[in-house]
Amino acid sequence: MSSKKKLTVKRLVIFLVISFLPLSMLIPILWAVYGEPLYSGKNEQLAVISYLTGVFGMMVPAVAHLITRLVTKEGFDNTYLGVHFKGKEGYWFAAMAVKLIEGWAGLFLLWAVFMKGTAFNEAYPNINMQNMGAYLLQLAASIIIFFPAFGEEWGWRGYMMPKLLELMPKPAAVIVGGIIWGLWHAPLTIAGHNFGTDYPGYPFTGILMMCLFCVLMNCFLTLVTEKTRSIYPASFIHMINNSLGAAILLTVFGSETAIKKVQELNSIELFFAMTCFTAMTAVISFVLFIKKDKSKIESI
Amino acid sequence: MRGLLYKNFRINLSSFRLNIIVTLICCGIAVICCALNGKDLISEENGGTLMLLLLYYFAFMMPSLTSNLLFEADENKTASAFAMSLPQGGKGHIESKYWYILIQFLIVLFISFLTDTVIYGILGGAFSATALLAMIFSWRLLLSAIEIPFVIRFGSQKGIAIKGLVIAFIAMILLIYLMFGNISWLINSDDPLKALMNWLNCGKVLFPISLFPFISCGAYRLSCKISVKVFREGAENYEQ
Repeated sequence: MSSKKKLTVKRLVIFLVISFLPLSMLIPILWAVYGEPLYSGKNEQLAVISYLTGVFGMMVPAVAHLITRLVTKEGFDNTYLGVHFKGKEGYWFAAMAVKLIEGWAGLFLLWAVFMKGTAFNEAYPNINMQNMGAYLLQLAASIIIFFPAFGEEWGWRGYMMPKLLELMPKPAAVIVGGIIWGLWHAPLTIAGHNFGTDYPGYPFTGILMMCLFCVLMNCFLTLVTEKTRSIYPASFIHMINNSLGAAILLTVFGSETAIKKVQELNSIELFFAMTCFTAMTAVISFVLFIKKDKSKIESI
Repeated sequence: MRGLLYKNFRINLSSFRLNIIVTLICCGIAVICCALNGKDLISEENGGTLMLLLLYYFAFMMPSLTSNLLFEADENKTASAFAMSLPQGGKGHIESKYWYILIQFLIVLFISFLTDTVIYGILGGAFSATALLAMIFSWRLLLSAIEIPFVIRFGSQKGIAIKGLVIAFIAMILLIYLMFGNISWLINSDDPLKALMNWLNCGKVLFPISLFPFISCGAYRLSCKISVKVFREGAENYEQ
């Protein structure tokens, strides 16, 4: 291994240690103090603490990015903090639109698969001007969620992925990066985030599902970040994913019966239904991302 | 663009620091008040919600107030000629100023978001101003979008006066509505702020209000384009 690669590995390891430590330590401590998992406990105070853990936890990778650069004296080149619009408008637009479309498509899929025998307007009777207003307001208020989303993205896509891309071929980097990102969520998943604690194979199935989801998301996020050379589009994608997913749309537009039907589902079943469109986006992004490599090979 | 942004930050470092300090003071006061009074602060009798919102609003006012200094430094023939001679031209010169103001607003938004999160924790989830912060941010953005082209066209002093006129015009429309409109929702309520929030949440106004942040962003972009045009014309006139 060349000395340059060794240095990259060293930097990556430092970054990962700083990123993983806080949540891995904090979640078990909170669990021990409150006696129940952070995200599926019944204690009211836990709901507040889980929100705070989520918000500040998401900023940890950005802090890790900053500390790693300072500690290893890497400097601040290629930070992905610039904004490049020219010729990249398509990717910026995709960053805004794809996740919004995915949310609506997910809502439609939930109806098509799990609400057989119920008419669409019966399942979602609240699709009206008032709730569309609430939806748009939620989208506007997402600008607040942008900051934690940026926190994660600047760490994962702004630091980890460029390092992995230096060390291995693109397909492997995307998969490894996704798995690392998924494993970072493991303490949260064990504490009941995303899937709860009541599902077959808890907590390993949950961790596995999260890794799968992160690999899928990583394809699109890495593609957009690398093509625009900017971290902001990925932050927008992450922001919309967290604040306007199909599950949230269901609570805004769904009838009580529809919500109940979905709540009765196993969280793993629900996960697969929700990730269908994310998988589609991931496949397209993956092909687009590795396409350049193929053309290079052909030219050689 | 990076160089121009650096120039803007360098020239306006003192006002930038002032903005950050004022924001930190406003947010600090909000956190201290919440820590001392707990949930009592936001009870109907104490009206702490209004106080918190005013503190946030004041924090957002500072970047707007100091943005004139950004333009004042360039209000002479030499600066215009220099801007036109840059590789990015007048367009880059003006765009960098728009980016600078936007970055300042985003910094204030970030600090207020952290404050809001801390307050959310202190008050046990009883108060969160996230949507309102987004609205204040949009409102300030819209005001800047209106103000800047006038500042570039007529100079910073006249620009401020025109912004004042626009605010006065909006206030007048509001006053006319309060005098002649149907405000039974406000009169029949004991808590005007709560009544206002209920009115905002009702079906009739929620949709137009939800469009407001998107309109502000569009207006800011449009304002930037207009400013570039106005600046170019102004710079050409200087040459004559």
